[in-house]
Amino acid sequence: MSQLLKANGLSVSFGAAKVVDEISFGVPRGGTLGIVGESGSGKSMTSLAIMGLLPKGGKREGSLDFDGTELTALSEPQMRAVRGDRIAMVFQDPLSSLNPYYTVGTQIAEAYRSHRSGVSRKAAKQAAIEAMERVHIREAGRRVDDYPHQFSGGMRQRVMIAMALSTDPELIIADEPTTALDVTVQAQILELLAEVQRDTGAALILITHDLAVVSEVADELIVMRHGKVVETGSAEQIFSDPQHSYTQALLDAVPRIDDSIGELRTTGGKA
Amino acid sequence: MTRFVVNRVAGMLLVLFLVCLFTYMVFFLLSPDPAVQICGKNCTPERIDQIRENLGLTDPFLTQFWNFLSGLFAGRTYGGGIECAAPCLGYSFQTSQLVTDMIVQRLPVTAVVAIGAAVLWLLMGVIGGLLSAVQEGKFADKFIAGLTLGGMSVPNYVLALALQYVFVVWLQVLPFSQAVPFADDPVQWFLNFILPWSVLAIGYAASYTRLTRANVIDTLNENFVRTAKAKGLRPDLVWRRHALRPALTPIVTIAGMDFAGLLGGALITETVFGINGVGKLAADSITKNDQPVIMGVTLLAAFFVVVGNMVVDLLYSVIDPRVKAGAPA
Repeated sequence: MSQLLKANGLSVSFGAAKVVDEISFGVPRGGTLGIVGESGSGKSMTSLAIMGLLPKGGKREGSLDFDGTELTALSEPQMRAVRGDRIAMVFQDPLSSLNPYYTVGTQIAEAYRSHRSGVSRKAAKQAAIEAMERVHIREAGRRVDDYPHQFSGGMRQRVMIAMALSTDPELIIADEPTTALDVTVQAQILELLAEVQRDTGAALILITHDLAVVSEVADELIVMRHGKVVETGSAEQIFSDPQHSYTQALLDAVPRIDDSIGELRTTGGKA
Repeated sequence: MTRFVVNRVAGMLLVLFLVCLFTYMVFFLLSPDPAVQICGKNCTPERIDQIRENLGLTDPFLTQFWNFLSGLFAGRTYGGGIECAAPCLGYSFQTSQLVTDMIVQRLPVTAVVAIGAAVLWLLMGVIGGLLSAVQEGKFADKFIAGLTLGGMSVPNYVLALALQYVFVVWLQVLPFSQAVPFADDPVQWFLNFILPWSVLAIGYAASYTRLTRANVIDTLNENFVRTAKAKGLRPDLVWRRHALRPALTPIVTIAGMDFAGLLGGALITETVFGINGVGKLAADSITKNDQPVIMGVTLLAAFFVVVGNMVVDLLYSVIDPRVKAGAPA
């Protein structure tokens, strides 16, 4: 499998603080890369660095090769054409990530229209309805005119995913897409992401602190800690034979149902 | 929606009733004999009795209050044959005029003052706030912060006198105010209002600038603004659709209430500039101790505030989809 996105020596720094420290990874075309790490490990900053959406004061260094295009060399308008069209993003908290003042249809259509010139309002709305149907929102034709607060948490995340896939992106970055959701809904959203990926052939970067989540969907895995990649490999390999002590600790920190009751293990990080 | 309106109107009537009761008590029970006050210095006991009789002051309090209330809705006739049509706010023995008429005559000028000031302060406040938010931490932001501090700390009457001195007396770019109807001399009419509008607007504009700045900066940090950027939207669209609308909605609310408050009369500004509006009427009546008029103006101000509140609530349910009319906020 050829690589769709290749990061080489990617760093993100805020002043003297380096929150992502020369990491390298590759996302195979149509494949899934899982980025795992505890909070503060730099995984979200990595995703924002790819999108070129670092918070004020953030500095990006290194190389990001996206299908032959060097993202770090693009001007802002050029990057804007990539954002939301070729690389789409699904954020952690779907309620705060959707604008409360607009219907979900408007917000999905907005992504679609901004990358297709000359699309009528009506056609964009139709595209929004189709995108909502693809993420299995029932009665999409009616719900397209509802506001975010009228949806449940899981449904809102489906709306976010619909927004991301409406433009047929080559890469979807999902940053903790299930963290804000109920456990039962989490599984559905993961299934949906996998299904979207199968249908569209898009590659996926799945960022999470939850090993159970990546184990189900990721082909490749990188484990991050303090801004550095501590382990890389296929998901199976890492789960069956973790090389780094941190990965081992991370795996051990997941409580198991057949464990005897005792103290929960931590990774020893300064959380 | 209908239930919401009905509930609100009922609540509004209750508030107004309580305001009526309270002001009535203050002005007619707790203060010294109104008849003596009305009668003035050169007064005979017969005249006092006459006034008491005419005002119905010999009746028990509840009867008096009931007469006042029914006068509001159905009009009343005072002893001595004075007809007061609904809404009857009372009769001023000092000026021998109906309070309602006195207020109605002055309301248009006050409305002009309030509308002009509101337009001005919204323009200044929103533009100033946006500018500070965009230039956060830079020179323009700090400069505007200094201006707003000044605008908030200078009292109205100082500002009014200072501006009058500078623009009318010293620079002579504005004429002395003369009461002219709009139809006779629109230019003079407009020039008359420039200073009052500015004086009223500056205080409000200062707080609106700060509010706008804070709201815009907060909104720009919202996750949904990040989502909008992640969609690849043009920056102007990110601003217009995703930052401005949520940031400016609360400003509409507050503007509505401030405007309603101003319709009750800008006491100081109207007095300083000699504008014959409701505010000046209130000030004059207080000096003359003309109680029915003071009470009428108080009720009017309360009425505007209560109605303004309701209008803003209704408006809010239209501009913010999360607020459903009738649902608890």
